[in-house]
Amino acid sequence: MDALKKSLFLFCMLALTVSGCVSPAATQPPSGVVEITAPPEAAATSASAVTEAPAATELPAATESPSAKPVILKIGWPGKPDTLNPAYAFLTESYTVFDLVYGGLTTESPEGGYVGELAKEWKQSDDGLTWTFTLKDGIKFHNGEDFTADDMAWAINAVMADPEGWATLANYASGFTAVKAVDPKTVQITLEKPISNMEYRVSFLYAFYRKDFEGFKTAEELQNFANDMPIGTGAFKVNTFDKDKGILILDANRDFYGGAPKVDQVIFQTFDNADAMVQALKVGDIDVAMEIPNSAFDTLKSAENVKLVDQPGRGLAELIINTVPANHDPAPTRNPALEDPQVRLALATAINKQDLVDIVLQGYGAPGVTIIPPSLGGGFWYNPIQDVTFDLAKANQILEDAGYVKGSDGIRAKGEVRLEFRLQYASDSTLYPRIADLMSNWWREVGIKANPESVDPDSLTAAVTPTGDYDLVIWGWGSDPDPDFMLSVMTSDQFVEGGWSDSGYSNPEYDQLYLDQQTTIDKNARQKIVWKMQEMIYNARPYIVLYYERQLEAFRSDRFKGFIESPLGIEISLSLRQVEAVK
Amino acid sequence: MDRREYLFRKIAFALATLAVVVTLNFFLFRVLPGDPIRAVIGRNIRISLETQAALRAQFGLDKPIFPDQFFNTLGQWARGNLGVSWSLRQPVGEVLISKLGNTLLLLTLGQILSIVLGSALGLVAGWKRKTPVDVGALTFSLVAWAMPTFWLGIILLAAGSTWLGLPTGGIVSPENVGKPLYTVLPDLAKHLVLPTLTLTILYLGEYMLIMRSSVLEVLSEDYILTAKAKGLSEWQVLKGHALKNAMLPLVTLIAINLGFTVSGAIYVETVFSYDGLGKLFQTALVKQDFPLLQGAFLLLAVSVILANMAADILYLYLDPRVRTS
Repeated sequence: MDALKKSLFLFCMLALTVSGCVSPAATQPPSGVVEITAPPEAAATSASAVTEAPAATELPAATESPSAKPVILKIGWPGKPDTLNPAYAFLTESYTVFDLVYGGLTTESPEGGYVGELAKEWKQSDDGLTWTFTLKDGIKFHNGEDFTADDMAWAINAVMADPEGWATLANYASGFTAVKAVDPKTVQITLEKPISNMEYRVSFLYAFYRKDFEGFKTAEELQNFANDMPIGTGAFKVNTFDKDKGILILDANRDFYGGAPKVDQVIFQTFDNADAMVQALKVGDIDVAMEIPNSAFDTLKSAENVKLVDQPGRGLAELIINTVPANHDPAPTRNPALEDPQVRLALATAINKQDLVDIVLQGYGAPGVTIIPPSLGGGFWYNPIQDVTFDLAKANQILEDAGYVKGSDGIRAKGEVRLEFRLQYASDSTLYPRIADLMSNWWREVGIKANPESVDPDSLTAAVTPTGDYDLVIWGWGSDPDPDFMLSVMTSDQFVEGGWSDSGYSNPEYDQLYLDQQTTIDKNARQKIVWKMQEMIYNARPYIVLYYERQLEAFRSDRFKGFIESPLGIEISLSLRQVEAVK
Repeated sequence: MDRREYLFRKIAFALATLAVVVTLNFFLFRVLPGDPIRAVIGRNIRISLETQAALRAQFGLDKPIFPDQFFNTLGQWARGNLGVSWSLRQPVGEVLISKLGNTLLLLTLGQILSIVLGSALGLVAGWKRKTPVDVGALTFSLVAWAMPTFWLGIILLAAGSTWLGLPTGGIVSPENVGKPLYTVLPDLAKHLVLPTLTLTILYLGEYMLIMRSSVLEVLSEDYILTAKAKGLSEWQVLKGHALKNAMLPLVTLIAINLGFTVSGAIYVETVFSYDGLGKLFQTALVKQDFPLLQGAFLLLAVSVILANMAADILYLYLDPRVRTS
């Protein structure tokens, strides 16, 4: 961001010196206020038939006590949905809302794995090419219309028919050949070839309301649709969404098939500043604070009536080592010493990951090993490889043995090749500069010189993929619930303009394994492949995974109880169905 | 030079400036490294390469910057259409107008308060030079002027929300979102207290310092001595002879500051989650949202140029020297 800001600032200065400058004289009345007034659901209605809720989300039969004052739960979060239109939603916050307002056939369980959401049960054919989902009973849209298999099939078909328009969901339906309603309770999906993570895929294919989405002629029309009042099947319905002001108000859906929620209204409020959010929780302006930065988390420890939620999370930070094949077009620009596996080993041996966790994350994390975070699938997908131990003497020895000799300036070199590297990091993180600082200090002691440099994320992307003009880069990922995405980052075909590979790692054997794990239905067999792939990456070291970052959140225990925690912190969509006010 | 010629030259100059700014803006944003599509979607895993290509085509980014994109943009502007923001998927004009009101509300309040308080303080300090009043006011102003915006905002937020029960962010409380602002004035006022106070403290120091040195300079002029010699009281000298002349540098400073505050509100708006232009600029930059950036800078440039013209015209009446030069 720095370069960007600087040029903007220079430009401001230029514009001002050219023109002198005074103030805008206009006095516009504050507009942009959307007129939305919907009274919260008044009388409590009876809880409709509660059907077989999956074990993980077992809900007590909802009992309604008509109270005079509505129960309102306020949640503060640092982001906000970019849109409520599932065709074009990029931010996690949008998906949090979709899980509350819409529903897919399945949903992720807090323990890892998937449970039924709209579907009661499902099975796949022996060849793995046909999946049959049976729907739960009593599901209705928010407007009271019955939800049937036809609606589900229509929604998935719409995504398949217009992958360009349904930009953010199309990937989940790729490889589907047909989706149809066999009868009002049964949806059948047929595939080109087996899909190993089918339950994960269908959890994102929401049952959106047909009449809202069938009228669009072009992809652009569809994507420009704000969908501010979505009609879904979920436990909550949207009352107000004011994106500009960062306010989202949801009302409880009294007719929810899983039982009516025990709160009447949920308000999401966006805080652009994490310290302000933490302060709001302390003084009671909000009841829940999500995604709290580790620097602000400790200040909540002494706060009264605040329960802290500290979960493993799915975020990781890594050191990317330029691994672009020498014959790649364009050819990589880097210090050739990085091609030497011994140099990579020495770099890894001279990083004290525990120190990174303690100093940079203030203890809220764990040393990183492989590209799959330990929390994924309840630990199922994580390969517990024994990591090299931090040992400066050993790192020195490795380099000495490999023929790198210390020069008079303390920097090692082999012939013309000096161990001096560019160490760049994305400027939008407050943590990376500290990582860079610590690592350069350790490396200096083994005769490696690193020159830290902050680069705005866009410029960094341009320099890395597929240009390959870098040595070492510090960056991070937030993993998906399924290992597929993190594994895809290392495949050869991702190192192209717009692709996700940033190391340039290319290995035909790995690429084949990636395809194999996509079609291996047997979970244990797939785990073997996924573990093997993690091992290959660990040994080749296109990444040195530095740490896994914990997810930190908090709520007011004097006001609400019944929150469900998952590795991602507070499991919002399941929690809100059951939290209740503390009497 | 007669008045009409003076005005004509000022307007011609303003239009030329605008043309230069518009052209520079267009190319400046496009020589930045990076890919706007990637900036919009972030490190996002939901979107395939094919879809990215489709979006690029939809935004016209697959065409050459010059001449296609450039003339396309100019053509749209000529028809009064600022385009559609890529990241917000809303017409740029609408977005800008909706934020402008909010920002003006905050800035106008903050500026009026800091100008009134700052110049009053500066006047007293200059008048009572080297007294404890002067030293106290000077120290306070220097400290206030040097304080980082972000830091001051957070401190006031923590103090105000804990002890006074003031809200921690936003323009109105969630339950009032969607209602016209004039119907929820008490709530709006409560939300404005802390951001306004922050802005006031930040700008007050600068006005005070300028006013003080300006008063000191004027007080040492010969005509002040003459006025005193005529037997006028100290207050009469100050009011009738010193104040008007001491105001001129302040007018210039106010003009410069108002131009800067639109972008300077970024920090205050971020601390207090206030939905205004400053935050919009920042989002547009991060997302490399060209239509929104261009629109925002057009607005900034136009208002700066217009205000500059207004100041020039005002000087025509305030300062006789401009008329005769």
